[in-house]
Amino acid sequence: MGKVAKRMSNELVSLHGIHKSFSGVEVLHGVDLTLGAGEVLALLGENGAGKSTLVKILAGDIEPTSGSIEIRGTKLAKLDVYQARQLGVRMIFQELNDAPALTVAENIFLGQWPHSGPFVGWSEMAKKAQAVLDRLEVDIPVDAIAGQLRVGERQLLEIARALTQDTKVLVLDEPTAALSNVEVERLFSVMDQLREEGVGMIYITHRLDEVARVADRVQVLRDGSSVLTVDAKKASREDLVAAMLGHASEKNVRPQHHETSEPALKVSGLTSFAEFTNVDFTVNKGEVLALFGKIGSGTAEICESLFGLRPITSGRAEIFGREYKAKSAGDSADQAIGYLPADRQRLGSFPVRSVAENLAVRSWQKMGRFGFVNRLLEHQAFSRWAEALRIVSRGSTQTISTLSGGNQQKVLLARWFEAQVKILLLVEPTRGVDVGARRDIYEIIREQAQSSGMAVLVATSDYEEVVLLADRALVMSRGEVVSELTGNSVEASKLIAASS
Amino acid sequence: MSNRKDTELEQEQAKSRRRIPDVAPLLGFLVLLTVFFTVTSPYFLDPDNFKNIFVALAVTGIICVPGTMLMIAGQVDLSVGSAAAVSGMILANVVNDYGITTGLFAVLAFGLVLGIVNGFFVTVVGVNSLITTLGTLATLYGIALLIGNGQTLMMKNFEWLGTAQPAGIPLPIFIFFFIAVIGIITLRRTRFGRSLYAIGSNPNAARVVGIRSNRILFASFILSGLSSALAGAILTSQLSAGDPNAARGLELEVITAIVLGGASLAGGRGTMWGTIIGLTTIGVLNNGLILLDVPTFWQRVAQGLMLILAVSFDATRERLASKRR
Repeated sequence: MGKVAKRMSNELVSLHGIHKSFSGVEVLHGVDLTLGAGEVLALLGENGAGKSTLVKILAGDIEPTSGSIEIRGTKLAKLDVYQARQLGVRMIFQELNDAPALTVAENIFLGQWPHSGPFVGWSEMAKKAQAVLDRLEVDIPVDAIAGQLRVGERQLLEIARALTQDTKVLVLDEPTAALSNVEVERLFSVMDQLREEGVGMIYITHRLDEVARVADRVQVLRDGSSVLTVDAKKASREDLVAAMLGHASEKNVRPQHHETSEPALKVSGLTSFAEFTNVDFTVNKGEVLALFGKIGSGTAEICESLFGLRPITSGRAEIFGREYKAKSAGDSADQAIGYLPADRQRLGSFPVRSVAENLAVRSWQKMGRFGFVNRLLEHQAFSRWAEALRIVSRGSTQTISTLSGGNQQKVLLARWFEAQVKILLLVEPTRGVDVGARRDIYEIIREQAQSSGMAVLVATSDYEEVVLLADRALVMSRGEVVSELTGNSVEASKLIAASS
Repeated sequence: MSNRKDTELEQEQAKSRRRIPDVAPLLGFLVLLTVFFTVTSPYFLDPDNFKNIFVALAVTGIICVPGTMLMIAGQVDLSVGSAAAVSGMILANVVNDYGITTGLFAVLAFGLVLGIVNGFFVTVVGVNSLITTLGTLATLYGIALLIGNGQTLMMKNFEWLGTAQPAGIPLPIFIFFFIAVIGIITLRRTRFGRSLYAIGSNPNAARVVGIRSNRILFASFILSGLSSALAGAILTSQLSAGDPNAARGLELEVITAIVLGGASLAGGRGTMWGTIIGLTTIGVLNNGLILLDVPTFWQRVAQGLMLILAVSFDATRERLASKRR
């Protein structure tokens, strides 16, 4: 009770009756949101529920169609990015917003470098940057080049940047998607500290287990309306999922184990410098094998090497009994190997092109003869997969970059299904994908594997994903396979215990 | 079941047709220009004048076809103007001594070699195409001057390529339309064309899905080289002389037409139709200015301004598109 009273008196943000339409389609139907000083509000909802639009309105990035915005007692008819910054609103996005060619210190103070006259004060900047990193307990040299760091580390730099500025309201849009468990815990303790300092935080996530750990209050959006606002300590997981989906969810059940015996992909002694060493495993036809481990443990790197994006320094790989050396991605694609990268923006999608094209790009060969492509087949392929995978779009001609993250990921998955690959390498296949779509994706991957005999290798850092998706799991740590779990022994507790 | 999907598809296609195309503002501008020149000059609407406009455009247009392909793939070929000049000089030399057939072969061989050189530096060595072709532009201009020792070379008995009028329509226009139709089909319907869009939209992702980007770009540069050579031959035939300065600034006109037509400088977007409309706009403007007795130097000024206008338009559209997201 006392907490509620305190919140009322220290209200930082109050959004009231926010409506927003994009080209005639209303995506927010009168949403209210309040945030108090020193409060963490978890904002949940499926992809396309309107979370990102709502926080972008708060950041001045998008102008609402109607509704009122009040930040720190200032009522605003119109809010632009500059005003929002002035009022202390900062956003941290899932996608990186850094300058990869600059150093860590420069990135932390990006655009606000300490200076004397026109000259950058390097030593002052390094000292201040070190102080911020110490506060975050992050061990990264301040003179390292940002582009050479891991994604998780670069995300922490973005948080460090927000800390150096006078931040009153911090919006974190799925910041943990790319972080390892240790890094996530570090972020949460930083958030605890910021809470003490009176910073109000809006935390967007898809990981329900994080809510109770980090948030004071939870608000759930569904289809552009606010459907639930509760105390985070009182919210049960089932209630939240039901609110997000609009119906009760199934429990976490291990999928029916699929018996297979014909090897599709076999690797022995596979090594790539120090990224991973002496890895042996076999994936059978129709089987889903998970490589589970923290980011940087070598799981994603194995997939990259098998696809030809990273050198293999020793060891061998066999496909259907024949030795296979991937010289380039084109080679692998010709061998009916598919690869879904974790970095959708950089390696996955063709942003300005249509969803149909993005889906069909790998299947053009069978969509016409003599080098021609039958566009009708392209559209039909999209309609088929859109129905099967429940891809929400305005139609096959919509530009892919205007879809929500989960729907983009479904299109990219369908790309390889349509191409009828025999071996599919997936890296963090549901990163940034909402709960409902996630289950669809698992189901679809398993179904495809079993019906077409496709062998699937999944590199993931999400234990729930392993439990729900894989027939078998190899746990990796520091580039080595440390244990193997099969059948019903694939459990969250065992996975976590083995990987840490 | 499939019937329902087909109807859905039709609706979808109808929807995309109803959406205002990127070239709509340009088309509006073209109509305005046409109306303006019709009112101000009595000769503008004359069919012979239209013939003139398109004959003037044919040379540029032939180069614009592979130019659009390259722009869509995020590349640019600046060497086209100098290449046309060199092929004109080669043609004038060879035709006078060895005849027409040998002359045409020599010219096309030159185009092929140029395409291979540009393609090699861009795809194998990995030099940015702007810089590579800026280099070949300068080199070839020098070579064009060297061949004729800085002079214009007269050429005999080979006017038909540039001036024949089968069925009353000048041959260069036929050639241009033929190549343009191939370009339209290639971009819209072939794997090669669709791959160009993919490469321009995201080269890294194109690699991951197994598109042989280097081969495709290499081929596009060869097409660009060949069409520049052909354009140079037509120009030389029209003039009955190889003039090292005849095709100066042609690359500017080509790029202006392509960008006006809606191809994105960032790659991944653009159409052949857009380029054709862009090209026509330039042609109508040039022609109108001549009819109004505006000194020809102003054509250059107008063209420069058009290019700036076109790229500003491209930049504005990019910004609006990212805002709408």
